[in-house]
Order: sequence, then structure tokens, then C-alpha cells
Amino acid sequence: MMYFRGCVAREKLDKISKSTEEILKHAGIDYKIIEDESCCGSFLLRTGFLQDAEEVMQKTLDKIKDEKILTSCAGCYRTFKKDYREIMGVELDVIHTSQFFNELIEDGKIELEPLSEKVTYHDPCHLGRHMEEYDAPREILNKTTELVEMERNRENARCCGAGAGVKSAYPEITEEIAKMRVKDAGDAEIIVTTCPFCILNLSSINSTKIMDISEIILKALKK
Amino acid sequence: MDKNNLNSLHKSFKVIRDRKIKLLEEEADRINDLKEHVKEIRKYSIDNLEELIQKAMNNFQENGMEVIFAEDSQKALDHIYQIIKDEEIVSKSKSNTINEIGLSPFLESKGIELVETDLGDRIIQIDPDTSGPSHPIGPAAHLDMNQIAEIASNKFKREVKAEPEEILDIIKNDVLKRLEKCNIGITGANSVAAEDGALLMVHNEGNITLVSMKDIHIVVTGIDKLVRTIEDAVSVVKLETIFATGKTIPAYMNVISSPSKTADIEQILLKDMYGAKRVILILLDNGRRKALQEYDECLLCIGCGSCIVSCPVYNVTGYEFGYRGYLGGRGITFSNFIKDNETCFNSGLFKCTECGLCTSECPVNIKTNKMIERLRNESVEKGAFPEKHHETAERIKKKGSPFED
Repeated sequence: MMYFRGCVAREKLDKISKSTEEILKHAGIDYKIIEDESCCGSFLLRTGFLQDAEEVMQKTLDKIKDEKILTSCAGCYRTFKKDYREIMGVELDVIHTSQFFNELIEDGKIELEPLSEKVTYHDPCHLGRHMEEYDAPREILNKTTELVEMERNRENARCCGAGAGVKSAYPEITEEIAKMRVKDAGDAEIIVTTCPFCILNLSSINSTKIMDISEIILKALKK
Repeated sequence: MDKNNLNSLHKSFKVIRDRKIKLLEEEADRINDLKEHVKEIRKYSIDNLEELIQKAMNNFQENGMEVIFAEDSQKALDHIYQIIKDEEIVSKSKSNTINEIGLSPFLESKGIELVETDLGDRIIQIDPDTSGPSHPIGPAAHLDMNQIAEIASNKFKREVKAEPEEILDIIKNDVLKRLEKCNIGITGANSVAAEDGALLMVHNEGNITLVSMKDIHIVVTGIDKLVRTIEDAVSVVKLETIFATGKTIPAYMNVISSPSKTADIEQILLKDMYGAKRVILILLDNGRRKALQEYDECLLCIGCGSCIVSCPVYNVTGYEFGYRGYLGGRGITFSNFIKDNETCFNSGLFKCTECGLCTSECPVNIKTNKMIERLRNESVEKGAFPEKHHETAERIKKKGSPFED
């Protein structure tokens, strides 16, 4: 299995990739990372740079096409699973960390202990509405804590505001949306999510603690 | 839009949203059936648009209306001007299509007074500071009562208290006084039945009835509003009402298929009874046929505004994220065709997060983020993109990462 970290977990928030690797090791999963990981192409696809995207996707495809791919990023997941099929005509074997970890728990390869914090879950657009994966992260969280849903959840979840290049071109819009999303979490102590971009963005509001699914699993992991 | 206006907008949107959620829960099966039915109706319309246009042209004429096909905004304005050029004052009801052609600034340039009769529209019209509308059904949703009272005070040069009844009375009485002087009323239509040759209009205030009873009633509507029958039209506006307001039915639905007439004397057809002597329908293309070619999905819209109530970007920017009442991502997509690429770019083509929430909220599930993505592809090919995106794209190509350092 190849663990494709994605740019944020690789370069900005290595706590995500570190937690993920720790869980993989703990469960005895044979995995590899590639040092020259490069880009899935998501940013380019969402912002209209289609030609550039195709070049970048081809390069990345050469590195990953024969692998079973595990990724931390909802954006990479959507792009590999959907856009590589639609644009490059390839069916990649890709799984998101939340799905894989949920399987590990179900198979008894890892066990979680109860946590006392009040936790809510933010559906990243790229994993939720775009790929309709709403359950895997929730199943994990329900095994270790009592998940408190935000009013706007699942297909009605509010976007964190960072997607499709808005954060880089219009940071003021992103910031205001992120504030609203954090407010949606009410009195939850931790917002767990499954997209490093959402984490990077929501953490900038400096209010509620934001964690990747791998971090909360590691926190609850029975060692 | 400033903070105050956004706060007012959020309050209005919360009321609409809560009501809609409650209704959707209570009447889930019925509303889901209606959604599926309306999707089919709209799909048929788009797939058979030319046929419906022909049928509409023939059937409305047969019913005694005058029908004009306007290829673009200017032609629509020219036709309207020919009809109203001798008037000092004309009245209108709320209509995005009329906003689209720019009737209000056009009439101002010609020295003809235009009276908005919808309360929200009238408030915006007499407010020198804000534009709008901020929601298709609640155009003044971004104004709070104090602001509206101040607008009214300035307009009527006396203190109008921040009380809803007082504001309503003073604006209503002023509009009624002006309406007496009008010989012409201009409205849009919510749905247009081509096979029956009938127009369906929805309102809560009763203003459309007043406006449509003037000697001449001009109706401006886009070809995308066409459906086959009046039954279909009723289904469309019912769904629109549910998703726009959270209520199952509006106060009024007016069906107009002819000028006023009677045959009560020996079945002899006599015109000019109580209602309009002439009803003139202007069917507007203005880029819609162009949209039909590759972006036909954006013509599915029934105009409820449900998309913007939840849109994360709209909720922090307001009507700046849109074009002339066509609000949010779908409105921006539409602007590419009814205006041009530059307008589309400036209306916020690159401000959408492509989150897809509008699709879930849309009663006919228009996939706006897909259209936005394709329009961005076209825009980038033409060289129009935010500089920051270009810088990021270059970094990705060079070193496989979007981040600096």
C-alpha cells in the first residue's frame, strides 16, 4: 500500500501524516511513502487550469497507477477516484484514511478507548457531498466518543470556505466562512474532520480545537 | 455588502431556512414527488425549447395577446419604449428579467418614472445607498427595520417610526397614489404555458393584480420560463414557493391568457371589460439559446433562491456574488450568457468554493459547481484568472506543491 500524504499533510501539517503513519505501524500495515510525491492536480482542476492539471496528473499517475493508494486528503481522494477516471480514463484503487481506519477497527487490528471530550465532525465537501462518504468518520468517532452533530451536517454541511482556490485569491471570504463554520460547532471541544485543507483553514480561526481523524484515533488508540 | 446588511440578511435567511426545513420534514413525500415531477417538466422544456417558443408565439396570439420575440435586452427595451414613450409614469412588479434588461436605468434616461409596487423592491428603489435585490422573493432582506425607517423618512421628508405597519402604510399609500396615474403596468411571469398560451404569476401582496389591470399590460419573460401546460406551470411555481419561502402556496397565483373580454351579450365577443385592453408578451432570448448549447442545466432554474440561502460565499458577501438579481453561483453562470465573460468574471466566477451545497439545496439539483469549473477552464484559456491562482499553478507545475518556500 502507498500512503499518499497530499501537500498539506506533507508540507504544512505533518502531525497528520505522523499520526497516520503511527497508526499504520501499530496495526502492522505494510506501507510505503514516496519522497517525490508531487500533486494530485485538484487545485488546478478546480481553478480552471485544465491543461496544466492534465500534465501534472499524468506525472503523478505514472508514480501511483499500480498501487493501492491510501490518502489523508479529501481533495486527493476525490481527484484520484473521480477526476482521474473522468479525465485520464483510469480507475485507481484509492481509499481515504477514514475508510481504511474504520476497516482496521472493524477487523480488530486497532482498538479505541473512550475519550471524554465532546466531539463534533465537519464533513469536508470533497469527501462528503462530492464522494458521499459520510459514515466512515462517524462510525470511528462513535466508537470512542459521543459524537455531537452540528445542525448543518452531512449533505447539508457548510463548507469551511477554503475550497477551489478561494483561500488563495479571496482570503477574506474564506476567513469569514471559516468563522461561521467554527461557530456551527457550538460548544463542542474538538472539531474532527478528514481534510487537511479544512484543518489548515479552520485552525486559523483559533477557537475550537481542530483535529484530523488520524489524530483523534491516535489519542484514543489502545496501545 | 457591509456587516449590518449581512446581519440582517442572516436573520431573514434563518427564518426562511427554518421554515423550509420544517415544511420539508412534514411534507417530505409530497414535496419529493413534486420535485421529481418538476424536474421532468423543466427537462422537457429545455430539450424542446424551440418547439415551445413556436407554440407560445402562436397560442398567445390566438388568445388575443400581442407577442414580441426579443433577441436581446436592447431589442426588448426598444419594444417597450415604443409602447410607453408618451407616458410620464409606468408601474411594475418584481421581476429578475426586467432587472436583467436594465429597464429601470433605461426609463430614467428617458425621463419616465417607474413605480416599483413590490414593497421590498420599492424600499430598494427609494434607497439611494444600497442596491439589491438580496433574495429573489425578499429583495430587501439585507435591510433592518431601522434602516428601512430611515430610508422612508428621507424619502417622505418626515419621521417614519421603525414600526413595520407604519412603514408599510406610508409606502403603500404613496405607491397607490402613483399607481392611479399609470396607464401601463409591466410585470414578469413565473412560468409560461406554451400550449395553453397562458402566463402564471405569483405574488403575496396583490400588486401584480393591480399592475396587470392597467390599460396596457406588458409582460417580459425569458424563454427559459416556458413549459407545456398551465398544470405544469402551477407545479413549477408551487415548488418555487416552497423552496423560496417555506410555505406551500403563495397568496396569489394569477393566470393571464388574454386581454379582458366578455361574451355575455349573445356570445358576442367584447373586449375592454375591467382588465387590460392590451396584453403584450415580450419573450426574451438574450443569450439563453447560447446557454442551451453547452450549459443547458443552468436553464433548469425555477428562481426560488434556495441556493443562496445556504451558500457559504453568498452569506459573507451578499449580492456582490451575483449579477443583477441572478444571485450566487448559478446566477454567475447565467451572467456569462445573458451578458458576457467579463461580467461573469466580475460577478464572482472565481469566488465560488465549488462546495456543492447549492446543488443539495436546489429543488431541481442544478450542478452549479460543475458549470463553474467548466467556465473557469474557458476563462483561464482566455487569460482571465486571479493572479494568485496563476502563481500557485506555476509552483505546482515546477515543484509539485502549491505552497511557497
